[in-house]
Amino acid sequence: MNAQLDNPPETAILEIAPETVKLAIKDLNFFYSGKQALFDINVSFAANGVTALIGPSGCGKSTLLRVLNRMYGLYPGQKATGQVLLDGEDVLSPRVNVAALRARIGMVFQKPTPFPMSIYDNVAYGVRLYETLSKADMAIRVEDSLRRAALWDEVKDKLQQSGLGLSGGQQQRLCVARGIAVKPEVLLLDEPASALDPISTARLEETIAELKADYTIVIVTHNMGQAARLSDHTGFMYLGKLIEFGETEQLFTNPVTSRARDYITGRFG
Amino acid sequence: MTATADAPMAAAAAPPRTARGTTLDRAFEILCFSAATLLLTALAGLVVSLVIGGWPALSKFGFGFFISAEWDPVNEVYGAAGAVAGTVISAALALLFALPLAFGIAIFLVELCPPILRRTIGTAVELLAGIPSIVYGMWGLFVFAPWFAQHIQIPLMASAPPGSLMEKLVAGIPNGAGIFTASVILAIMILPFIAATLRELLNTIPATVRESAYGLGSTTFEVITKVSLPYIRTGAIGAVMLGLGRALGETMAVTFVIGNAHGFPTSLFAPGSTIASTIANEFTEATHELHIAALISLGLVLFVLTFAVLALARMLIGRQQTL
Repeated sequence: MNAQLDNPPETAILEIAPETVKLAIKDLNFFYSGKQALFDINVSFAANGVTALIGPSGCGKSTLLRVLNRMYGLYPGQKATGQVLLDGEDVLSPRVNVAALRARIGMVFQKPTPFPMSIYDNVAYGVRLYETLSKADMAIRVEDSLRRAALWDEVKDKLQQSGLGLSGGQQQRLCVARGIAVKPEVLLLDEPASALDPISTARLEETIAELKADYTIVIVTHNMGQAARLSDHTGFMYLGKLIEFGETEQLFTNPVTSRARDYITGRFG
Repeated sequence: MTATADAPMAAAAAPPRTARGTTLDRAFEILCFSAATLLLTALAGLVVSLVIGGWPALSKFGFGFFISAEWDPVNEVYGAAGAVAGTVISAALALLFALPLAFGIAIFLVELCPPILRRTIGTAVELLAGIPSIVYGMWGLFVFAPWFAQHIQIPLMASAPPGSLMEKLVAGIPNGAGIFTASVILAIMILPFIAATLRELLNTIPATVRESAYGLGSTTFEVITKVSLPYIRTGAIGAVMLGLGRALGETMAVTFVIGNAHGFPTSLFAPGSTIASTIANEFTEATHELHIAALISLGLVLFVLTFAVLALARMLIGRQQTL
């Protein structure tokens, strides 16, 4: 213990049991038009669990998330090297069908992004892209998704109304419903609660806690309480590097690296 | 410090500032209100003067003025239907040609275009919008019309089976001047305008909305057709209607290439006239009171037509917003 305090390691990355790995990131480097934003990320995320990514603004948390579903590929000049293995298959390979990949890896953004269509169609949108369901089956899927996103009771009587007419918190849960309706394997959440009021945030957190039984969830958050409450594993990032990764309880109560300790005890960030 | 100690100070400082602010505010309000009222007055005055100026013709021909296509200054018989038909057909055709291209340009520029090309094409579109209409008209008359007659009109007329609908549509003197040519020139004129507006609208879509659609596994085509275009549909309707309004009222370019024949257009390639081209052509020669009145009445019809298009746009936009 003393030795640790006297000479803490620069980085400390826990390796999770290979049989539980869903997403494995190997030697990942990322560049925004030549400027490096992520440095040698090596880490694995467990299936059916919640992994939180924390760190000060600009540390690369969101960037890392956007690599996992290749969202960066929409923008010329952004480039990733290394490997991101989803069930052993390299997501970054140019041979991957990006649209099909993104259907397997859902994403919810910081601000709600409802589509300009009815609440029902918002949820059904993604399903229709990849599955041909009967009307009845689709209705079941939509209801199920809305229930799991804890929104059903509030919208069941107005499914045909525009999704743009909902409140911010409802819109965000609609986006969660839309994301889980396509039954992705991984759900990426980019500060999903940062624009929400406390009640909506609590609801969303309940939703995430329920969803983790079926999904691999990676959540980027600025709210350390949220990370501590929700996640099984937590990664702390700083200046584009993954500094520490471990079980959430251990990382919050007894961080190994001095940077993570400083951040968690509130000395910076 | 306590609240009671603060209050007198605030009260002492407030009155002069408030009084001055109120007067200024009031003056500002009146100024803005006058500006708006002036516009309304001008509009009302315009309508009234059009009605008064056109009254001799309107009262003489009655409703027949709007349904008759006979326009004969020599015998003093005037009917607006030919010019109205020419106006509506040429504008509608122009919209038909311009719309797919405008959407294509706007979508390409915003969603697909490499950044280097974006500037160049964007600037070209803006330049195209800035060319005066008389230049389009001259180009249409001296360059486009002869080329069109030589390479499109004559081959089409030669290949159309006798007695077919095709033959009727392409009939006419093969000199390139006619409704169709005018529509093409109009399309080129309104294209950059609509494309530029659509591009601005597409640029207003938040990146995260687009990314959300991609995030669910959409292809680019699905994102554009199912999310991006619905997102801007209200504004897009407005842009299209403004383009249509421009096409309806465009004068110089059309006058050059439409052929300026009165009466109902008999085929796509036949010469015709629009309201604006008729007025532009005849105003200097109109010496009889009835002729002048008929031209002013035509102006009134164009005004109503354009107004109707704008009103329709408003209605469509209103309906979309309640969805």
